[in-house]
Amino acid sequence: MVVQHGDLACCVRCAGPASAERLARRQLLKAAVHPPAPGPLGPGATAGMAAAGAVETAVARTGAAPSGTVSPERDGGGPGRSPAGFPGVLTGTVVDTSPQVITIYGPDGERRIALPPGAVVWKGGTADPTALESGDSVVVRMHPGQRSVADRIWANVGRVTGLIVERDRESMLVDVGRTTRRQAVLIPPHAMGRLQVRFPRLEPGYLVDFIGLRGRGFLEALVPATSQPAYRASEAPAPAAVRGHAAVRIAGSAVWHEATGPVDADGVRYPALDPETACLEQPLAAAGCPRLPYLSVGSLLEVRNECTGSARVLPVSGCAATAQIFCDRCVTCGTSPRGRVADLPMAGFVAMGGDLERGCFNATVSLGSRSPASPPPGSISPGSPSPGSLSPGPAPTGRA
Amino acid sequence: MTSPGLPATLWADLQDIQPPLIAGILIGGCLAKLGRVLRSGSVDAGLGPTQLFPLRLRRPLAMLMCAFEMSLGLALLVTVFPVGTRSGAALFAPRAATGTRVAAAAFFLVCVAALAELRGRRPDLGCGCFGDFSTQPTGWRSIARAALLTGAALISIESPALFLPPRNHGALLFLGIVCAELALIAVLSPEVSEALLRLGYTDPCELRQLPAERTLAALRRSRQWRKHAQAITTELPIDMWRELCWRYVVYPCRLDGKNAEVVFAVQLRRRRPMVATAVLPLAPDSPAAASGHPVPAQDWGHQEAMQLSTGVYPQA
Repeated sequence: MVVQHGDLACCVRCAGPASAERLARRQLLKAAVHPPAPGPLGPGATAGMAAAGAVETAVARTGAAPSGTVSPERDGGGPGRSPAGFPGVLTGTVVDTSPQVITIYGPDGERRIALPPGAVVWKGGTADPTALESGDSVVVRMHPGQRSVADRIWANVGRVTGLIVERDRESMLVDVGRTTRRQAVLIPPHAMGRLQVRFPRLEPGYLVDFIGLRGRGFLEALVPATSQPAYRASEAPAPAAVRGHAAVRIAGSAVWHEATGPVDADGVRYPALDPETACLEQPLAAAGCPRLPYLSVGSLLEVRNECTGSARVLPVSGCAATAQIFCDRCVTCGTSPRGRVADLPMAGFVAMGGDLERGCFNATVSLGSRSPASPPPGSISPGSPSPGSLSPGPAPTGRA
Repeated sequence: MTSPGLPATLWADLQDIQPPLIAGILIGGCLAKLGRVLRSGSVDAGLGPTQLFPLRLRRPLAMLMCAFEMSLGLALLVTVFPVGTRSGAALFAPRAATGTRVAAAAFFLVCVAALAELRGRRPDLGCGCFGDFSTQPTGWRSIARAALLTGAALISIESPALFLPPRNHGALLFLGIVCAELALIAVLSPEVSEALLRLGYTDPCELRQLPAERTLAALRRSRQWRKHAQAITTELPIDMWRELCWRYVVYPCRLDGKNAEVVFAVQLRRRRPMVATAVLPLAPDSPAAASGHPVPAQDWGHQEAMQLSTGVYPQA
């Protein structure tokens, strides 16, 4: 077994509350200088003191939660609700099981969830509900319209996406980003053949993306989440040139990761953070596929699942360190354009209709905006018009 | 080119141009593949039908394919030359010429089958025919191009040695046929748009990297800065971030005796960037206002983590 080591650094997810407040304020400041054309702020919300006052007043009146935070009162949260504020998804630990009901301890306490006959359980593979045990870490997608009835349950699911740095006979150490601890991956003999069909080169320098069962300090890899690029991570092809301005909506695939904190669980990791002001979470390699417009932590991103039609506006919580080095496509519903455009936390991925064992869904992203009166990050906005565009903002009020 | 009728002349010219044209495509494809390998530093970075083979065969197959293309291209060029200098002279190696052209036809026929197979089994992969330019998923155009080149190689089997056409209307006809065939190949080549795009390409502003120092320098030259400079209370901004073509810079300020923040939006343009500005009063219960003045960036505990600006320009 490879011994884990590596330095841990900090990004926005472990920055203090003052940082979160500052990040939340960015949207207010941006709205003041580039007011959204329609919306509750009104057309008069132009630059200047009066407009700024209007912004402040509007926020105070509506009591909007800042970006990246969710007010439980506003979101109707109850015991066992997902901390990410994604309605319809529950995360927690199984404390008691029976054939029809499981009790889950989540961030907001215990909650009993009914298991109807059609409920699907994934625990290293499709399993019977009786496979759930006390202590299992689960993600539950609720039955639509029924708050305490499970539709699908994923138990102990984990994922490791990154660069192989060490390889042993049956295990490997994977670099998943500069600010995250390196992940130990154990490949059981019965899964080796299946994994090597799509990941033939399990050698240092090559990329892996495995889904499996999370153990104590390691991942037991069982399912390949994609196909392995044929080249080493350092030899990735140059990104394609972009014609004119970047597209208003960028299509690709959305993947998921295991959230590392409340801020991370509330947001979405984006592959292209401005390198000039980026945090320590830089991509693992310099390749970009596709090239995405630069944003920053705290920017709002609308992520749309093209397979289900659901869309959410989420704050960017950090850099998707491994997303830009995978130039793969998602084939969950049709073939997506090449490249990963968003890296969602598990709860967010499930809430948007993704199945964790598939690893991705076809997605489009666009720059989102949230008016002070609009719902918090976890809310659903199916079929809503595009809240923003990946084109330059409205005309500024001054000129050098 | 000595045939009396126009159709016959057309056919003869069409036959004549195929060997050098096919040779050019083969050599170009090989050079593009080599360029990709040199840029990436690995033969494994190849695309295309080699990905359908077992891993251990991919590298030798990629090398073999490249070498075969170059050899075939050179052979087509060499064998098209005549023995003499007069028009109508025989090929100096007719059997070799025929063999080379048959090999080219067989090669492109295999390509048609391989690309169809690639499209069916790995629809996400580009054909890799021209290295980095062939990254688009294999489509019917690539397959049709290979089929067209198969036909071109077949009709060239009986073509005579190549001579420059006479300087009359025959030259124009010859040139027209060459242009028409090149245009047809271009239409069937997804690589052309990629090549044109890379010619004279500059990043759009959303993708452009521009140092933060330049943004701050542009800001300090602006009229908007001069308008608010007196009210700004710190040397360094307390926050800076970017969205698409704009970089936002925030400074604390005092306005009418109250704490506030002034935000500048600076366009990421190299020359004469637009600058927009707004002032937001701080709520009395905000931590920054309660402390009497906004907290400057250097006092934040995790400024690197939250992407503040202190790390990107020197401390005063």
